[in-house]
Amino acid sequence: MTEGLTAMLGVTAPLIGFALALIFFRKKHDVAAAVSVFSGLISFFCMTGLLLTHGSEATTHVARWFTIGDVELTFGILLDGKTLIMGAVVALVTSCIQIYSLSYMAHDASKARFFAFLAFFEWSMLSLVYAANLLQLFIFWELVGLASFFLIGFWYEKPSAVRAAKKAFMMTRIGDVGLFIGLVLLFMATGSLDVLGINATFDAAGLPATIDKDRVEWIAMLLFIGVIGKSAQFPLHTWLPDAMEGPTPVSALLHSATMVAAGVFLVTRFHGVFLDAETTRVWMLAIATFTALLASTMAMVAKDMKRVLAFSSISQLGFMLIGLAAGSLFAGYFHLITHAFFKALLFLCAGSFIHALGTNDMIAMGRAGARKLRITSIGLVVGGAALAGIPPLAGFFSKEQILGAMHEGWQTGFKIAAMGAAFLTAYYTFRMVFLLLRPDANSRAVADEPAGAQHGGHGHDAHGAHATDAHDADAHGHDAHGEPLVIRAPIAVLAFFALIAGFFGDSIGHAIGIEHIHHPSFGEMLPAIGIALLGVALAWFDYGRSGAKQVGFLALVPPLETFFAKRWYLDELYHYLFVTPAIWIARLCFGAETRGFDKSADAVGTGVIAAGGSVARSHNGRLQLYVALAVLLIAGLTLWVGFEVSGGAR
Amino acid sequence: MTLQTWLLFALVIFSIGLYAVLARRNLIAILIGIELMLNAANINFLAFNHFVTSDPAVGQIIVLFVIGLAAAEVSIALSIVLAVYRQRKAIDVQDLDELRG
Repeated sequence: MTEGLTAMLGVTAPLIGFALALIFFRKKHDVAAAVSVFSGLISFFCMTGLLLTHGSEATTHVARWFTIGDVELTFGILLDGKTLIMGAVVALVTSCIQIYSLSYMAHDASKARFFAFLAFFEWSMLSLVYAANLLQLFIFWELVGLASFFLIGFWYEKPSAVRAAKKAFMMTRIGDVGLFIGLVLLFMATGSLDVLGINATFDAAGLPATIDKDRVEWIAMLLFIGVIGKSAQFPLHTWLPDAMEGPTPVSALLHSATMVAAGVFLVTRFHGVFLDAETTRVWMLAIATFTALLASTMAMVAKDMKRVLAFSSISQLGFMLIGLAAGSLFAGYFHLITHAFFKALLFLCAGSFIHALGTNDMIAMGRAGARKLRITSIGLVVGGAALAGIPPLAGFFSKEQILGAMHEGWQTGFKIAAMGAAFLTAYYTFRMVFLLLRPDANSRAVADEPAGAQHGGHGHDAHGAHATDAHDADAHGHDAHGEPLVIRAPIAVLAFFALIAGFFGDSIGHAIGIEHIHHPSFGEMLPAIGIALLGVALAWFDYGRSGAKQVGFLALVPPLETFFAKRWYLDELYHYLFVTPAIWIARLCFGAETRGFDKSADAVGTGVIAAGGSVARSHNGRLQLYVALAVLLIAGLTLWVGFEVSGGAR
Repeated sequence: MTLQTWLLFALVIFSIGLYAVLARRNLIAILIGIELMLNAANINFLAFNHFVTSDPAVGQIIVLFVIGLAAAEVSIALSIVLAVYRQRKAIDVQDLDELRG
């Protein structure tokens, strides 16, 4: 089979799986799940095969779609290093998550729908990654957003899930408007929709001769606005923490290889454009650094495990963009890949804990015996260490590259801020690990939600599928059998990759066309190692050591703690600034509609009826009156006409 | 005998007929009033025919038509009156107000 066909098969297999599962097997849940998993595996094998066999050159396989004037629109696939690596990661992570879901969603009433949408999600993301032109890229960018809307709102009978899905969809849409304008400007500037062509224009040293500097800045800024929405950067980050209303496997997929990764992938795809836009890069760096810090502070005080992970996703996406904005394609891309592994891993661990213990609260989880889930605990430690940037795990190498990328003078301030964020990352990650694995029933930590709270079936936020978890836990007993093979295996696979992915930096770098990868000396690594270990040490002091108070150093400054726990009041601020006025305007329109237009239309009707009624009263059936009226009218008419005629004659 | 005399004569007859239609309560009387009004119109036709037009035949032909129509109309109207009487045992026009809105 040729490369083109393999790629086609790999990309479309999930679509076929989605269609089959949703159209033919909606009621046959197990068949639908099998079809979806099978299509995911096909895709995974195709992607891996391509990654291993494809050379380093970029090739495209396109077919003409339609032609407008001189512009020929094609639809096709682009095979280059970025695409192939990302595609393989997406397929691998999705397959793991699908297999994991076999147990996690085993008793959900809409299992078939769930698996169908997982396949749909994978198809959209793979097509986005493999897109050979801008239009195709944009279409699948939107489809990724749609798929996450479906999955976040999967438990649609739960109002909070519906709200979260709506929020995610609308907030990313704000960014998409910017992206779309940016893409149009990009097309106008280069006259081409072809990704490779555009990159060839911008990758050359200096500005392209035909495009002026302001235009490039505009394009880069608008594209970045799209990325802000999709990759949940400040100020559009608030949708991502709410997105955990979806089932945990969805969060795992959404936070690692798909959806939020799409934004960063776009920046890596058009990195040449961003390199040419100096001013925009400063803005990007500022926003990304601020986001990384902001989300870290929120993660320090959250008690809900999924929420901590969601904040850490925002923060890590900030790190990727820091690397890219600082000018290092390799650093950003590398972190994107490693983050996909360990974030998916951490979410799957979170799902396993929630599944077995029936709560989202880390303190309650720890006290209820989270450490008895052996494989999950090991996965948690590996994923946590990778996230914190402890050598030699995946996250360390990529994060070190990002910090190392900021070597120019003006970037120093940002570098210090990014190091602060890295420190906080290590701190909150190990706060999570210690709270889960070294619980202390006598500490001052207060659990918001007792263990097993979700098993009773009466409402809780993160787990609307009351039935799902309740049944599952009841059927299997609580902790002893909390880890069936289909949960253990994906965790193990992802933990393996989180362990080793850091050593593939060179191959990844070469595959995406980086000639010289900076290999830091031990001395250069020292700060990165230092801050990571310092963060872990502080976490140990606050949460880990025996007799720790487990409330964190922030408790010394209660107002700050509240401020962080309330997410900097940003949600409230947005609510007052945007949502409330929008509701007012809607009310106004509603009033104008019901009391204005509808009432006036009604008034016409009722007026006619009233007039008719009053006229009808004169129809009293007195024939002679009718005749008299007729005679009077005719006489009057005759007289009038007579005067008119004689008057006219005069 | 001028044209004006004949027109005044026809006006008097028409007014009597109109009064009968408007004021009498008996259906038969109303019918008679209608006949009077038709004949007043006939007199007008004949008068104009005699004094104004050169061809004496036109007005007379119209009048013959009107007489024929009047006969047909009376026969239909009388049959209606009979039907009304059979149903209601009365032909007082004040009672016949089924056409009210």
